[in-house]
Amino acid sequence: MDVFLPIAQVFVNPIEILLLSAIVGVLSGLFGVGGGFLMTPFLIFMGVPPAYAVANEANNILATSVSGSTTHYLKNTLDYKMGFMIVIGGSIGTALGIYTFTYFKGIGKIDTVISLAYMYILAIIGTLMLVESLGEIDKAKKNVVERKKLHVHYWIHGLPFRMRFPKSKLYESIFTPILIGLAVGFIAAIMGIGGAFILVPAMIYIIKMPTKLVPGTSLFVTIFVSVIVTFLHSINYGSIDLMLVVMLVVGSIIGVQIGVKLGEQIDSSGLKALLAILLLVVGIVIAYDTFFAEEIKKETIKVLNQDLNFFSKFIKEFSKDMPFFYGLFSIMFAVLLGIGAAFIRRLLSNFKKKYFNKTPQQSK
Amino acid sequence: MHFPNIKIPQKLKENKTTFIKTGIFSAIGACWGVILIGTFVTFN
Repeated sequence: MDVFLPIAQVFVNPIEILLLSAIVGVLSGLFGVGGGFLMTPFLIFMGVPPAYAVANEANNILATSVSGSTTHYLKNTLDYKMGFMIVIGGSIGTALGIYTFTYFKGIGKIDTVISLAYMYILAIIGTLMLVESLGEIDKAKKNVVERKKLHVHYWIHGLPFRMRFPKSKLYESIFTPILIGLAVGFIAAIMGIGGAFILVPAMIYIIKMPTKLVPGTSLFVTIFVSVIVTFLHSINYGSIDLMLVVMLVVGSIIGVQIGVKLGEQIDSSGLKALLAILLLVVGIVIAYDTFFAEEIKKETIKVLNQDLNFFSKFIKEFSKDMPFFYGLFSIMFAVLLGIGAAFIRRLLSNFKKKYFNKTPQQSK
Repeated sequence: MHFPNIKIPQKLKENKTTFIKTGIFSAIGACWGVILIGTFVTFN
């Protein structure tokens, strides 16, 4: 049973999309990495054109990061001041990224640029993760305790305009988070990812934030970056397909919950090498797809021309006639889904505590 | 009965880490090889 996506103009199998986004969600919950850099390539493999895969995955990331951030807000593990500083840089970076995107779209090379960016980023992350996990294996074998310096200073720490960040207990130049945000926003706009794989290490090793504040603040920044990316993609190219977004959000929110629960029960550090190999394999497949299978893809796209049903027509006309409001609607839709998922999770957790934790006490 | 090659499985076990490492580095090499050669061929 295939469904026609009215905006992306391709047929997809909804069960496959739900399953894939759930699997990527599980990996994301298990390893604490965003699913964007796996899900966008998977969408491309399923026939969704890269420019549409990027925009719709950004909208999906918005929903999942709203869901995760709400949980951290309820736990009070968020540094808003630092988050806003990164968002300032992120906004400028996103605008620059969209400008670059427009340039490459204009010369008809955007699909190649997205594929190239993905294969290089996946190969770099996969290589770094594998080398790191090999180092950990060696250290564990030799029982070596590594002595690290208490404070390592880079050039970035010597920047002017210092400011206090009471929640993180830091006295840092405002340019440090702004520059990091700039890089994250630029990559997010071109690749449709949240950018957590840059943001999290940068927050820990460069800004030196307390680790407990990092995931919440990273998700908080991702919300703003993905809002800007979704909105700009929507009004500039009308590439947000709500039918695809619903499938992605439902699958990934369920998957992330399963992944987090699995992560609490098993030690995922040993599985890190497997994730790294998966990234490398995805990188190789993208390379093959880009360099050798391009002509087959173009023929498949030409065949598609179908009559649309009422819902598909409505989405297409709404996107075409009112791109500004369609963009706002896509954002609100993702935000509401994310908040809804966070509250359902809290309700379920309270329900579990109330009814399932009582049983042993009653039996006493 | 005498098996002259009985030492081979033992040697494989002893050098398990080396084999894993070689496999991983070959995978990394293959990945970068495909990407770099593909990029070079495409852009020329």
